[in-house]
Amino acid sequence: MNRVVVTGLGPVSSIGIGVSAFTDGLREGRSGISPISSFDASGFPRRNAGEVPGFRPGTLLRRIEAARWGRSGQFAAAAARLALADSGLDPATVAADRAGVVVGTTSGESVVVEAVTAQQVEAGFGAMDPELLGQVPAGRLAHAVSTELELAGESLTLATACSASNYAIGYAYDTLVTGEADVMFAGGADSVCRWAHAGFYRLGALTADACSPFDRDRSGILTGEGGAILMLETLDHARARGARIYAEVLGYGLNCDANHPVAPDRASIAACMRAAHRNASIKPEDVDYVCAHGTGTPANDSVEAQAIFDVFGDRVPPVSSIKSMIGHTMGAASGFGAIAGTLAIAHGFLPPTINWANPDPALAGLDPVPNTAREANVRVVQNNGFAFGGNNAIVLIGAVE
Amino acid sequence: MSGVVITGWSTTSPAGVGRAALADRLATAATGDAPPVGATATVPAGSAWPVEPPPAAPVDVTELSDEPLPTPTGHALVDFDVRAHLGRKGTSFYDRATALAVVTCGDALRDAAVEVDDTNRSRLGVVLGTSLGSFRSTSDYTRETLVQDKPYLVNPVLFPNTVMNCAAGQAAIRYGLRGINATVATGPLAFLDALRYGTNAISRGYVDAMLVGAVEEFSPHRAWTTWLTGRPGRATPTGEAAAVFLLTRADQPGWAGPRREAEVLALATGYGPGGGAAADQALAGCVTRAVRRAGVDPAEVTCVLTGETDPDDTDEFGPACAALGHVPARMRVSRLFGRCDAAAGGLALATFLASEPPEPAPKLALLTGRSPDGGTAAAIVRGWPGAGASDR
Repeated sequence: MNRVVVTGLGPVSSIGIGVSAFTDGLREGRSGISPISSFDASGFPRRNAGEVPGFRPGTLLRRIEAARWGRSGQFAAAAARLALADSGLDPATVAADRAGVVVGTTSGESVVVEAVTAQQVEAGFGAMDPELLGQVPAGRLAHAVSTELELAGESLTLATACSASNYAIGYAYDTLVTGEADVMFAGGADSVCRWAHAGFYRLGALTADACSPFDRDRSGILTGEGGAILMLETLDHARARGARIYAEVLGYGLNCDANHPVAPDRASIAACMRAAHRNASIKPEDVDYVCAHGTGTPANDSVEAQAIFDVFGDRVPPVSSIKSMIGHTMGAASGFGAIAGTLAIAHGFLPPTINWANPDPALAGLDPVPNTAREANVRVVQNNGFAFGGNNAIVLIGAVE
Repeated sequence: MSGVVITGWSTTSPAGVGRAALADRLATAATGDAPPVGATATVPAGSAWPVEPPPAAPVDVTELSDEPLPTPTGHALVDFDVRAHLGRKGTSFYDRATALAVVTCGDALRDAAVEVDDTNRSRLGVVLGTSLGSFRSTSDYTRETLVQDKPYLVNPVLFPNTVMNCAAGQAAIRYGLRGINATVATGPLAFLDALRYGTNAISRGYVDAMLVGAVEEFSPHRAWTTWLTGRPGRATPTGEAAAVFLLTRADQPGWAGPRREAEVLALATGYGPGGGAAADQALAGCVTRAVRRAGVDPAEVTCVLTGETDPDDTDEFGPACAALGHVPARMRVSRLFGRCDAAAGGLALATFLASEPPEPAPKLALLTGRSPDGGTAAAIVRGWPGAGASDR
């Protein structure tokens, strides 16, 4: 069984593109929220989101032609390209079929689906553009990465909604542990779109201007987008090439609420945390920081915090939500969480929960790392991801011992 | 060898719900009026098994759509009614893909004789393959944002249907399955990818058993996609199906099904960037790796089940034969069931398991899949005799 380490980070986010800008964004507690520009939001009561207006795929992508791929695939490929560059790996030194990719997503090529739907509305189903229909399949998120980096190994898209990046990291970890691959790119991607904006609004889950997780007066999410890819490799492979090693993937846990399509379940989430700890061979007291799912809805944050109290008892580590900064990036969310957690270990700081003003009496004892990043010695990070369908996924990342 | 076995399964297809319905359809197809044709022609008469049936005629599907369809026929289970199987409670907001999947998961549990209870539900999971969930649910939802007086006047209850994990999540809710719940979205590769995902989850000890399957629904959205992206004027008819298998460890706990019907010997996946020759090579590499991991002699592989859809398509069979070093019998389930995208591989495995060879003996199959961009997958499955056309 191989140990698995993180050696490259590729964030394409609203608070920074590339690991250096993203790290600065986390440290400064930057907000990536802006007025929606990717679609006409004028008819919506809520008009802000965590878009990545600075995303210029042509400047990041070397091999794939952006026009032939949807926006989410472009995010994934650009993020993977950044992760590869950050890792310092010379791809020519890895057998192509020993390197693969796993991308998680909620809505796949949502912008493409919206474009062909607009064509339907305009002129009927027969007017849908065949070229765009060819871009619709969600499997193209992983395929975009494989094509961009010329990888001949596994090319898998996992569609487990808002915890999908943790699923992807977990599955990639398994392929490395078992020796089926030497290098894997894993994370997630999603794009801001009208239908998700409308759906979350109608669920009463969308806030107006600022997402404030764990605050007494929190009132919902802001939709976000981006690509978050980590380059993982076996510890042996990383050491043999003299790589800079950020952190180690210790293990992960998955389970399912099997209860309600959208409402989170405290006991089930606690069970997922315990499974993740068991699989990673750690105890709750080993965890120095929880990178929370922390969507900013009253229900999620309350249930997540209660589950944390259940598992951690009277030793609750700091718990912050980077969704306060970048919004809810859906299938990319736990990928950004994993990158933030990795940086917390590598650089010794806790990313803050911004927009935080008032403690929630119901969450007494929770330290959300309010508003300002904090220096800290971080050895083990628990990265939470929960989703519609009760798809819970938690990844444990640790300093390399 | 993976050490993972199949203890039961079900399909929902134009043949109906359940393995007996599929076996009947296969028997009818094999003895139909038209003579068997296809790749079996390259194999000496009498030695080929299974015999690839002639293409089946699609049926009238116009009642499945309020929108004009590109062609009035397709391979759909037109009279499928989820309430007839599961009742009204909890099913009223299912979309068609979810309904097909949940019904088929339930029938697979029944076929494997698995009783889900508090002692095993956290050790039993689900993984389903798809192309993009329900294209219809998603597209209709975004359509509402365009045609309503206000763009936010969408139905919140239907929002989860736009998310690709809807079917797997609803299957878990319906049957109380708290183990790993996953959705793989790789289109024509999705069933084989789900098989690999499920096998890994069991082998790594995260669960004891998994329902592994794939689903595609018939909808005007898929029918038009098939029509507009297929060969002009002669696109393979659009199909729909769900296929679900109960997988567990070879040293299975008793609750995961008393029978062993087949063993998933090996799986391999790859990618040929850009498709074309690179993907030919990637698929041949997958077949070679799968055969090696399975520990079988390539000459023993007498049957290749491919996801090919066009009559003259050898994109999978060609590389498979090259890797095997001989030309086995080929079976294309698209001839019976149309273009089923993610569900094609599941129908292929079910077809293999439901077909009885002339002589009762273990049978060995290679299953292949390939996506337009260059994704490839191969699986080696061994079936044991006597389990095929059972009506349990």
